[in-house]
Amino acid sequence: MSADEIPLPDDEEDKRLMGLVAAGDDDALRLLVHRHHPRLVGYLRGEVGSQATAEELAMEVFIRLHRAAARWRPDAKLTTYLIHIAHNLVLNEWRRRTRKPTTALEFTAEPGDLTQRSARRVAELDEAFQRAIAQLPPEQRTAILLVVQQELPYEEIAEIMGAPVSSVKTWIHRARGRLRELLKDFYEKD
Amino acid sequence: MDNPQPTVFEKELAASLSRGRTLAVPGFAERVVGAVRAERRRRVVIRWSSVTTAAAACFVAVLTLSTPSEEALNREALALVAGDESATFTVLLSAGSDLALLSPAVEKSSVVELFNLPGF
Repeated sequence: MSADEIPLPDDEEDKRLMGLVAAGDDDALRLLVHRHHPRLVGYLRGEVGSQATAEELAMEVFIRLHRAAARWRPDAKLTTYLIHIAHNLVLNEWRRRTRKPTTALEFTAEPGDLTQRSARRVAELDEAFQRAIAQLPPEQRTAILLVVQQELPYEEIAEIMGAPVSSVKTWIHRARGRLRELLKDFYEKD
Repeated sequence: MDNPQPTVFEKELAASLSRGRTLAVPGFAERVVGAVRAERRRRVVIRWSSVTTAAAACFVAVLTLSTPSEEALNREALALVAGDESATFTVLLSAGSDLALLSPAVEKSSVVELFNLPGF
């Protein structure tokens, strides 16, 4: 894994790294985590609202990936596989929270480098969106996050969620409608 | 289903969500590698402890199976007793003594000879 190697396309590089991870190479695992964790943590934070929980779940995703490395077959993109594991963990997390409703969601706006006034507006908006997204039913929330935040195609979202593309489209449509309704104070003239 | 011209809402939704698209966490890869190594060590310990437990179970089983059971010991004792000629002789002698008591005129040795006759 020297720096002189010609960089492979992302998917090929993922396959190569997964092969090394399966052989017990911790440096390959480190590199793989380094490549994929920002997106995974971003998605998970959108889902669960808490940075700490998102990191905890992302850690579990990579531990599971490591366990499955020897059995992993590159039928799908590694990103899809990771988000699929993450989605299952999120479902478990929401079931757990339903059983223990005392666990509060911790939404905090991410700091930005904008001017103070617009930064305040952005922070307010982000918080409003995050709160509104948290109120969506789980399928709608996952679908809208994957399509808008992660910019994944419908087919890939359907694969991750184990549902037909038509259902994914319906969830996204309903999520947009519900978000618009929840944020109507922000967008009355829109 | 998708609007051809995104509204302000659509644009701001996309902008808001895309701001959280990636969240790099410093030192995260190291934490994952550390957790994976810890899990690997745990698995080795579990594997060895289960191997040790299985070996101990096998040892106990071998010991238990190689020790004859009480029933087997009884059978063996009975076989020894049955095959012991001295025991038979003792039985005959005691029978001879009983007869001698009943009829003092009869010699004990003659009773034993009688019992030892072929076909008795």
